[in-house]
Amino acid sequence: MELRVTESSENELSIEIAGEDHTFMNVLKGALLEHEDVSAATYDVNPEQSGGQTEPILTIKTEGDVDPLEALEEGAAGVRTKTTAFREAFEAAV
Amino acid sequence: MSYKCSRCKRDVQLDEYGGVRCPYCGHRVLLKERSRDVKEVGVR
Amino acid sequence: MSEEYDVEFVERGDREARFLVRGITPGFANGIRRAMVADVPTMAIDTVRFIENSSVMFDEQLALRLGLVPLTTPPEGEFVEDDTVTLSIDVEGPATAYSGDLVSSDSLVEPADENVPIIELKDGQRLEAEADARLERGKDHAKHQGGVAVGYRHLQRVEVVDDLPEFQEPESQIVRGVVEENGELVPTSEFDHDLSTRHPGKEIRLEDVPNAFVFHVETDGSFSVEELVTRAVDSIEARATELEDAVQL
Repeated sequence: MELRVTESSENELSIEIAGEDHTFMNVLKGALLEHEDVSAATYDVNPEQSGGQTEPILTIKTEGDVDPLEALEEGAAGVRTKTTAFREAFEAAV
Repeated sequence: MSYKCSRCKRDVQLDEYGGVRCPYCGHRVLLKERSRDVKEVGVR
Repeated sequence: MSEEYDVEFVERGDREARFLVRGITPGFANGIRRAMVADVPTMAIDTVRFIENSSVMFDEQLALRLGLVPLTTPPEGEFVEDDTVTLSIDVEGPATAYSGDLVSSDSLVEPADENVPIIELKDGQRLEAEADARLERGKDHAKHQGGVAVGYRHLQRVEVVDDLPEFQEPESQIVRGVVEENGELVPTSEFDHDLSTRHPGKEIRLEDVPNAFVFHVETDGSFSVEELVTRAVDSIEARATELEDAVQL
């Protein structure tokens, strides 16, 4: 996973997450939208054959004085909470 | 290179000057044998 | 963020299962499904060395068939991507070469099924080959897909509302998957997928239960359903951890 910031300001961040696809990006976006201080989160991917930008670009907007990069870190942690909870529930059912 | 005569089924070694002909029966149809090397194939 | 999931098995086999997950968002459900199909690595033959092939098919055709044979995949952590296991096959005609004729050098990696035909050999024909199997992901090649036929459907709630008017033509009402009726889970195959045979002469209300999905998972024999699901979740978690670490720096 290689990260490259394409645009950055106080409350907005665009970051390329190389090597990922909808599988992870959509889950991550979902977790970011559940974050209290995130006002907007989206990602864009182009098909492999399209040429140009084919790696997903994640864009986050935050509210107040919250650093979007920090929100991203918390979003990733949010995904982890989901996976841990899911594994626990699944293993309990097995 | 080894070949096999299609009529008498004997192994035939071809040399540069003998032409395409079985030295045992004179038949002109020779079949090329698969080489004995190990062939590596990628699965894609 | 507190997450609360509830998992319940509806049907359960070694290679095929159906289970209900409550409290899951469609996005996360889809992430798990996609990870099962494309991101959980399995073993499959990747290179074949032909010592003898006097069969009627080309080496390349046989190599492709060998590649498609499902192999059991060792437990997580035993192997890493790019590790190889060698399997060999030696069959002389008249006979049919089956996947079960593959002899593995590692008991952790063996054909998942014994009865996949590879080629029919006539009298005097012989197939002798050595193959290397590798751990890769379904994303790289379909032969590395551990999950076949993986999908989910909304859980649907069935409610009997009223009697149908006396002279109304009976109409079939088809549902597929699993329905919830008075808190009980019923696979629709139990009533031939037709609610009108289950509740004749009744008016029925059907609705999707929010955030409740019934997964149907079938594996190719590489591992059990439970393994596939946990490994899929692990793969998502590994990426989240990697991202977290990368952002922290």
